[in-house]
Amino acid sequence: MLLKNEVRILVPGVASERFDFNLFGIQAMIYLDNAATSFPKAPGVGEAMTRFVGEQAANPGRAGHYMAVAAEKMVEDLRLKLTQLFGGEDFHRLIFTLNGTDALNMGINGVLRKDGSEHVVTTALEHNSVNRPLQALADMKLIELTRVDFDQGGFIDPDDIRVRIQPNTKLIVLTHASNVLGTIQDIKAVGAIAREHDVLFLLDAAQTAGLVPISIDQMKIDLLAFPGHKSLLGPTGTGGLYVGDRCPPLPNQQSSLASGDVFRAWREGGTGGDSSSPTQPTQYPFYLEGGTPNTVGIAGLAASVDFLASQHSANVLRSEQVMIATIINQCDGDKRFTVYGSSDVSRHVGTVSINITGYDSADACSILDDSFAIAVRSGLHCAPYVHRRMGTFPGGALRISPGHFNDQHDVEKVLTALDEIAG
Amino acid sequence: MLLSGFGEEGQRKLLKSKVLIAGCGALGTVVANTLARAGVGHLVIVDRDYIEITNLQRQILFDESDVENAIPKAVAAKEKIGSINSQIKVTAVVDDLNHTNIESMIEGCDVIVDGVDNFETRFLVNDVAVKHGVPYIYAGAVGVVGMCYTILPHLASPSVTSNGDPGPGDKRPAGGPCLRCIFEHAPPPGMNPTCDTVGVLGPVVSVIANYEAVEALKVITENWNAINRMMLHVDLWQNTMRQFAVTKAYEIGDCRCCKHRVFEYLDGKLGSSATTLCGRNAVQLTRNSADGHKLDFKDLASRLRSHCHIQVNKFMLRAAIIDGGHPYELTLFTDGRAIVKGTKQPEIAKSIYSKYVGG
Repeated sequence: MLLKNEVRILVPGVASERFDFNLFGIQAMIYLDNAATSFPKAPGVGEAMTRFVGEQAANPGRAGHYMAVAAEKMVEDLRLKLTQLFGGEDFHRLIFTLNGTDALNMGINGVLRKDGSEHVVTTALEHNSVNRPLQALADMKLIELTRVDFDQGGFIDPDDIRVRIQPNTKLIVLTHASNVLGTIQDIKAVGAIAREHDVLFLLDAAQTAGLVPISIDQMKIDLLAFPGHKSLLGPTGTGGLYVGDRCPPLPNQQSSLASGDVFRAWREGGTGGDSSSPTQPTQYPFYLEGGTPNTVGIAGLAASVDFLASQHSANVLRSEQVMIATIINQCDGDKRFTVYGSSDVSRHVGTVSINITGYDSADACSILDDSFAIAVRSGLHCAPYVHRRMGTFPGGALRISPGHFNDQHDVEKVLTALDEIAG
Repeated sequence: MLLSGFGEEGQRKLLKSKVLIAGCGALGTVVANTLARAGVGHLVIVDRDYIEITNLQRQILFDESDVENAIPKAVAAKEKIGSINSQIKVTAVVDDLNHTNIESMIEGCDVIVDGVDNFETRFLVNDVAVKHGVPYIYAGAVGVVGMCYTILPHLASPSVTSNGDPGPGDKRPAGGPCLRCIFEHAPPPGMNPTCDTVGVLGPVVSVIANYEAVEALKVITENWNAINRMMLHVDLWQNTMRQFAVTKAYEIGDCRCCKHRVFEYLDGKLGSSATTLCGRNAVQLTRNSADGHKLDFKDLASRLRSHCHIQVNKFMLRAAIIDGGHPYELTLFTDGRAIVKGTKQPEIAKSIYSKYVGG
């Protein structure tokens, strides 16, 4: 377990009496930007990646030399573990991607025909990695798009989704938890509605994978997109897409235009097997995993998934909720601050957004960094519709997102700093 | 051509030469004017700014119509020079001079002359000059004072001797200290006055720029012995002209740049970086400095107060600036970083920062 006081960020040569320094002149920073990417990573991640680079970094392959087989085994072991973690049935259907955005793009572009015949329901809570690919298709009239609004607390009412479903609705895309407000959505209800209407359900688990329990089976998720570098505590450049059995690969390339209910591959290339096939092999994961995977990153992610397996995940979520509750309790009702979204932390991940009266969010963020060595994130958080709805567009808000390795001391420090800035 | 030291041969060298004019404000316009009339064959003029009415007091190549037409300085300078001397080539570059583009701009240049309004870019120019062995005439003017110093970098080519000096057959004299031998780091932002906060006396600019120009002419015509190896300091109000013997700075110092050939500004390790803020009409400028200096807003606040409305507390200084008719809000933080609102363009934000904060 990494100790709190070992969390350091390099700031070359900077000296100030405000901060404690260790012998190497390195400054301790309080990192509260885990919604963007977690820091630090799980213990062992860096070592696993270094070891892999040094000892095993061969191109994985199902047959061949010892190193290729070892690399393949490492990748396949993690594929299985992640599938089990998310309650999937068939680990071959877990596709490694570059990040959450990559997985979402693969999912959206994979299932939609893009011929103007299909309708998609999404929500105003989404991140731009969902908003942009869908909006681009809608602008080109290749899909029909409905965006369901959320309530003042930051929750989508599943019935609002239900009533927007049309006979030609193909897909529902929803975030598991808002990356701005931190509010956890009722996935089980939405999954049931999708299944009932024979609509595919793509879940964006960017803010929840590794933190909030996910069951592909019980939540009736058809496509699960997740990053490896947030609550899974792995390195950047990792992520995945689980493709459920309602999304079959193309039976053969000739039928591609005629068939509406297949998943289209869009990154075609080498698969380390089936090389005689003139087109992408139609078995998962090879169907969607053309090209050399990020094995170094996957080695790091494997280490973090092992670390998480040794942790009590309910405690981690509860700890984040307690930290958020402390912030909300202090700021909500204080005229110097505005807190956005629900104050019911039982439906929260470790993310909350606020503003300080009289301060632009970017300025406040810089002050926290510059004068207090606290890292938070200002702006729109790639979720413009959330900010429009909350009345914080275009100025944005200050997002505070504690993570796995933060504790109440960090929260107290940020609250002291906020109090001092607000004056 | 009639002057000794020039002659026909000198004039021919001028015509064949290429000069980089880094920045085309007060100093740059005077130097460009002088060098164009002298017959320098190719001038490369780099400047990111557009002409404003307050520039006309000292920036001699521009006039009121340029302000009305909002012409970039580099472009206006090229047009004016075209009508002064149509025989020479002028390349106008409307861009921020930074570590990603400066090396391509000095290609084939015989000398770099300083028309820059901030120290950070000077250190960048110094790095590129030392790395490629191109002489660099450093100059600056603000208020009633100006400085000029010719940097002949120590060379690092196979023809040089072990101590970095030119080998036999090379007429170029031994290298002298570079800008970083003399000033190790750029001064912290807000510490130095700028032309836009304390003003500058027009004649100081002309005097210094012409010193620069004559040094450039000496370099191009290879009149090496005539080059001033001292640092000139002129105060036109106190009527003093002083020269500082700086030669020893190379020997006694341990310059990262010219002794160790580590080019921290050119490698982008030092110097500021600019990022457009997510979804905003604002740019954040971050200063990557090695000095760790924390700003005291007091001096800067008093300088800025006469120009614009400011708001200051111990965390930040916020200034509402009208520049070139456009409103900007500049927020400066204690580590020297700033957020400039009112633009999405990093070049404009950098320009506002240089003018009102400096450094």
